[in-house]
Amino acid sequence: MDINYQFLIKTFYLVLAAVPTTLNITAVSLLIAMPLAFYLAVIRLRPGKYIQIIISGYITFVRGTPIVLQILIIYSILPSFLNSVAKGFALEVNVFDWNPIIYAYIVFSLNTTALLCEVFRSALASINKGQLEAALCAGMTTVQAYRHIIVPQALVVAMPNICNITVKLIKGTSLAFLMTVKDMTAVAKIAASYGYNYIEAYMDVFAGYVIVCSVVQVAFAFAERHVGKFRFIK
Amino acid sequence: MRPFNPQFILDVIPNLLPFLWVTLSVVLGTVFFGSLLGFVLARAKLSQKPLYCWLADGYIYIIRCTPSIVLLFIVFYGLPKFCLEVFDMDINGYEKIFFVLVTFTLLFAAPISEVMRSAYEAIDHGQYEAAVSIGLTPWQAFYHIILPQATVVALPNFGNSVIELMKEGSLAYTIGLVDLIGKGQLIISQNYGAYALETYLPLAFIYLLLTLGVEKSFLRLEHAFSRQKKAA
Repeated sequence: MDINYQFLIKTFYLVLAAVPTTLNITAVSLLIAMPLAFYLAVIRLRPGKYIQIIISGYITFVRGTPIVLQILIIYSILPSFLNSVAKGFALEVNVFDWNPIIYAYIVFSLNTTALLCEVFRSALASINKGQLEAALCAGMTTVQAYRHIIVPQALVVAMPNICNITVKLIKGTSLAFLMTVKDMTAVAKIAASYGYNYIEAYMDVFAGYVIVCSVVQVAFAFAERHVGKFRFIK
Repeated sequence: MRPFNPQFILDVIPNLLPFLWVTLSVVLGTVFFGSLLGFVLARAKLSQKPLYCWLADGYIYIIRCTPSIVLLFIVFYGLPKFCLEVFDMDINGYEKIFFVLVTFTLLFAAPISEVMRSAYEAIDHGQYEAAVSIGLTPWQAFYHIILPQATVVALPNFGNSVIELMKEGSLAYTIGLVDLIGKGQLIISQNYGAYALETYLPLAFIYLLLTLGVEKSFLRLEHAFSRQKKAA
C-alpha cells in the first residue's frame, strides 16, 4: 500500500494544532452541562408532576435520537431563528457572522446535559437519605449539606460514568465539522481534499483521537483516586 | 424566517419510510457479524494466553477512543486500497452498505465483547465444573448450561449496545448510503435546501420510535427469560 509518509507527518501536525478546538468544545460543553444537569437531577428527585414529564421527555428525546440528527436540526433552525430575533429587537448584529463554534457549544451542552442528568440522578439516589437529614439536623443549610456531604459522596459513584460521557463527548465533537467548525476531523478533511490523501489524513485523526482520549482517561483515573477518599464506609 | 409548514411533515413521511429497511438491515447485519466478532474477542480476553488477552484488550481500548465517523472514513477510503494491494481484489465497486457493515461490525464488536465477558464471568464457575463432571463435553456444558444463564445477564447491556449502534448507524449517510437520513438529505437538496426542519423532525420521530421499540422488546425478552429462570 503506497502511503504518502510526508503528507502523513505534515497533516499530523495540522491535526495536533486543531486539538485545542476539540478540547475547547468539550470543556465548554461540560462546564455548561454540569450545573444544569445537576439542577435537573435534583429536581427529578423531588415530587412534582409536570416538570418531571418535561424533563423526562427531553432526556428521552436526546437519548433516543442520533446526535447527527440533533446537530442537523439545531443547525438548520437556530441561526435563522436567532437572526429573526435579532431583527425583531432591531439589534445591529449579524448572526451569520458568528463563529459556528457557538452552535457546537449549544448542541453538545444540550446533549451532555441529558446524559449527565441521568448519571447525577442515579448517583444522588444512591446516597442514603439519612445523610441529608443528618446534615440538616446538624444545622447546615441545604446548600452546605449538598456541598460538603452529598456531592463528595455522589461524585465517587458518578466519576466512572462522567469519564465515559466525557470520552463520548470528545468522540462526538468529531461531528462538529457538519457545522463548519474547524476541529480535528475538518482540518484533516480539508488537507486531504487537495491531493485525495484521505486515508493518511484519517489515520492522523484516528491517532489524534486515541491520544486525546487516552490523556483524558488518565486524568480521570487520577480524579477518581482523588474523590475516592470520600467513599462512604459502613 | 420562512413559516413552519406542518403539512410537509405528513407529505415527507411516506417518502422516508421505504428506506427504513436499509437502516434496519444495517443494524441487524451489524448485530449478527458484530456478535460473532465480539464472541471471538471475549474468548480471546478470557483465554489463558497473555498474547491473546493483550491483543483483545488493545483492540477494545482503541475502538473505545475512535469516533465512528473517523473509522467509517478510514474503512471507506482505505479498505478498497488495502484489498487491491494485499489480496489483489477490486472492491471499489462494492455497494456502500458493505463498507458500513464492516465499519460498524468493527465498532460494535468491542462493547459487545465486554458485555459477553462480564456475563460469562457472572456465572459461577461451579456450574461448568458440575456439568463437565456429569459427563457433558466442554462445548455441551457451555451451550446448555452456561449460555442460557449468561444470556439473561447480558440482555440489558446488549439492548443498550444495540440502541447505541442504531444511533451511530445514522452516520452511514456521510459516505453516501441512502438510508433514512440519506434519503432525508436527498429530499432536502431536491427542495434546494428548504424544508430542512420539516424533514429532520419526522426523522427524529422515527428514530425515537425505533429506540423506544428496541428498549421495550429487550425488556420483554428479559422478562420472558427471567420467568423461565424462576420456573426452573
